[in-house]
Amino acid sequence: MTVAAMELVNLKKSIGNKDIIKGLSFSINRGEVFGFIGPNGAGKTTTIRMMVGLINISEGDVLIQGHSIKKDFKQAVREVGAIVENPEMYPFMTGWQNLKHYARMMPGVTEERMLKVVKLMGMEKAIKEKVGKYSLGMRQRLGIAQALLHKPSILILDEPTNGLDPAGIREMRAHIRHLAREENVAVIVSSHLLSEIEQMCDRIGVIKNGEMVTLQQVGAQDNDNLVHQLTVTPITKAKQFIQEEFALQVVEQDGILSFHCKKEQMPAVIKSLVENNCSIYEANVVNGTLEDQFFELIGENTIE
Amino acid sequence: MSRLFKLIQNEQAKIYIRKSTWIMYIILFAIIIAGAFLTDKFSDLNEDYQGDDWREVLQEENKDLQKEMEKDEYAASINPETIAKNNYYLENDIQPAPYGTWNFVTENAVLMMLVSLLTIIVAGGIIANEFRWGSIKLLLIRPISRSGILLSKYLATLLFGLYTTIFLFITSWIVGAIFFGVGDMNPEIVKQTANGFTSVSLLQETFTQYGYQLVPLIMMTTLAFMISAVFRNSSLAIGISIFLMMGGNTFIGFLAEKEWAKYILFANLDLSQFADGRTPMVNGLTLEFSITMLAIYYVVFLAMSWIIFTKRDVAGQ
Ligand SMILES: Nc1ncnc2c1ncn2[C@@H]1O[C@H](COP(=O)(O)OP(=O)(O)O)[C@@H](O)[C@H]1O
Ligand SMILES: [Mg+2]
Repeated sequence: MTVAAMELVNLKKSIGNKDIIKGLSFSINRGEVFGFIGPNGAGKTTTIRMMVGLINISEGDVLIQGHSIKKDFKQAVREVGAIVENPEMYPFMTGWQNLKHYARMMPGVTEERMLKVVKLMGMEKAIKEKVGKYSLGMRQRLGIAQALLHKPSILILDEPTNGLDPAGIREMRAHIRHLAREENVAVIVSSHLLSEIEQMCDRIGVIKNGEMVTLQQVGAQDNDNLVHQLTVTPITKAKQFIQEEFALQVVEQDGILSFHCKKEQMPAVIKSLVENNCSIYEANVVNGTLEDQFFELIGENTIE
Repeated sequence: MSRLFKLIQNEQAKIYIRKSTWIMYIILFAIIIAGAFLTDKFSDLNEDYQGDDWREVLQEENKDLQKEMEKDEYAASINPETIAKNNYYLENDIQPAPYGTWNFVTENAVLMMLVSLLTIIVAGGIIANEFRWGSIKLLLIRPISRSGILLSKYLATLLFGLYTTIFLFITSWIVGAIFFGVGDMNPEIVKQTANGFTSVSLLQETFTQYGYQLVPLIMMTTLAFMISAVFRNSSLAIGISIFLMMGGNTFIGFLAEKEWAKYILFANLDLSQFADGRTPMVNGLTLEFSITMLAIYYVVFLAMSWIIFTKRDVAGQ
């Protein structure tokens, strides 16, 4: 059996008499992108802080390539690259000076490696500029570059898409997928928005109130229970029509109709909508089970 | 070892890359220039004694001082010292040396107060700033123990103090040389002690003065460093340390009569109070006692910094 890149063993954290993390156990393998999802305040950052030894572990342990972060900090942390919360680089130094700073703190980081990482994150142009002038997206990328310098076997990114515009988010996703392949690292990406990171993850764990509520493979879909989304006008008429004609539960949100049905049922739905003079602009299938569970567990899809 | 060296290099890069550090040096430089200018304009530079007739000049001066004392009460209180000093020159047949750059360097030992202030500012920020910037999280997830990070930061702070002291010393020497000339290689000066006047080597006097000033510099810097590590707040660290540095002597003035006054840090900072047969500020102080107290305070400051910095959670601001 190969050693997991990272393994959490009944990890707990209490501050004062408040239990913040209540026993997390899961592992992440090399080359895998793991989505760590939960609403704000669920305990994602607290878990990540324990993973990298920034805060003491109340109970349990984190093993990184088999090394305990508690007992064998240096060996364990050598395998980790991370951004915790925001990519807080020194604003008064250039991107390159920042990388140089962290390179000096780790053995075996060559100039060549620094250049490679800069290229990997597509920052050749910006690297000579002061970080104070960077956009948030640029700072995120520099943050990832910093985390990759020493060829870690696990990369931990805390809300890397937070605050980015849609184009930035798409770019970030592409970068992370590319990295997982290119560098063969395990990646943990946290987010409070399932939709922002679902596409790039191999596996997703949902955390709520310090507990893991579901852990599952992305793409393992329940074919009989898909969620379909339609962008359609006039929306009220279409909603009524689908409910009456097909006896389906329809939810209207942000100008989009969502409902469960079998894949085979969809052509008929669309056909009859068109025949009834509804204009369909977009039709989507979303990963029903996951989206649903998230929705059920968290109450809504996006929690700010 | 080379890892520690690189960590110190990092810390120094972060100190010296910032504009605020350079502004501190520019201010220090400007004060040195201003000092030289004022000294040149308004101080007695012993120019009158440089001719072959210096003995007559001294005697003449003593007569004038004597006359002044008869008319003026204030002069009566301060002139005897000058007369005694002049007599010492005459009796021992020492020609007063001209005011040269070494005199200027020695007088600038008072600017070590400013060096302490600047070093306190660096010490107060060196840990707290990392917390304020959030960069502490990236700093502490390296294969380096927290003790190692702390040590590198402390050493970088002390080195900053040392470099700034050297800057003060060398800049003073150069500016002094430009304004007053280099002077003798090893000039002697006459100074007053409890046992009257003696002639001492000026160079030795210079290094002694700076040496005494290093004690409060190191102690107050270490105090600021501790507050920075414990409270993670630079304004607090800098504010408290500077307030205590400025106010310390005043407190001691008020508390000198108290039995426990000698245990206060500030009663022990000025080791020159034991030199030249002077009487210490507070009853019961001896050099040995002061050194012991300083060592205890120093160890406590460092231990507090270490315990808090290595053990406490790094979470939230
Ligand atoms: N230092 C702390 N003291 C007390 N409570 C804390 C502390 N840090 C975090 N918490 C609490 O722990 C919970 C989890 O926070 P966090 O891990 O930041 O959540 P997330 O990153 O998922 O948004 C929150 O309810 C928060 O209020
Ligand atoms: Mg968080």
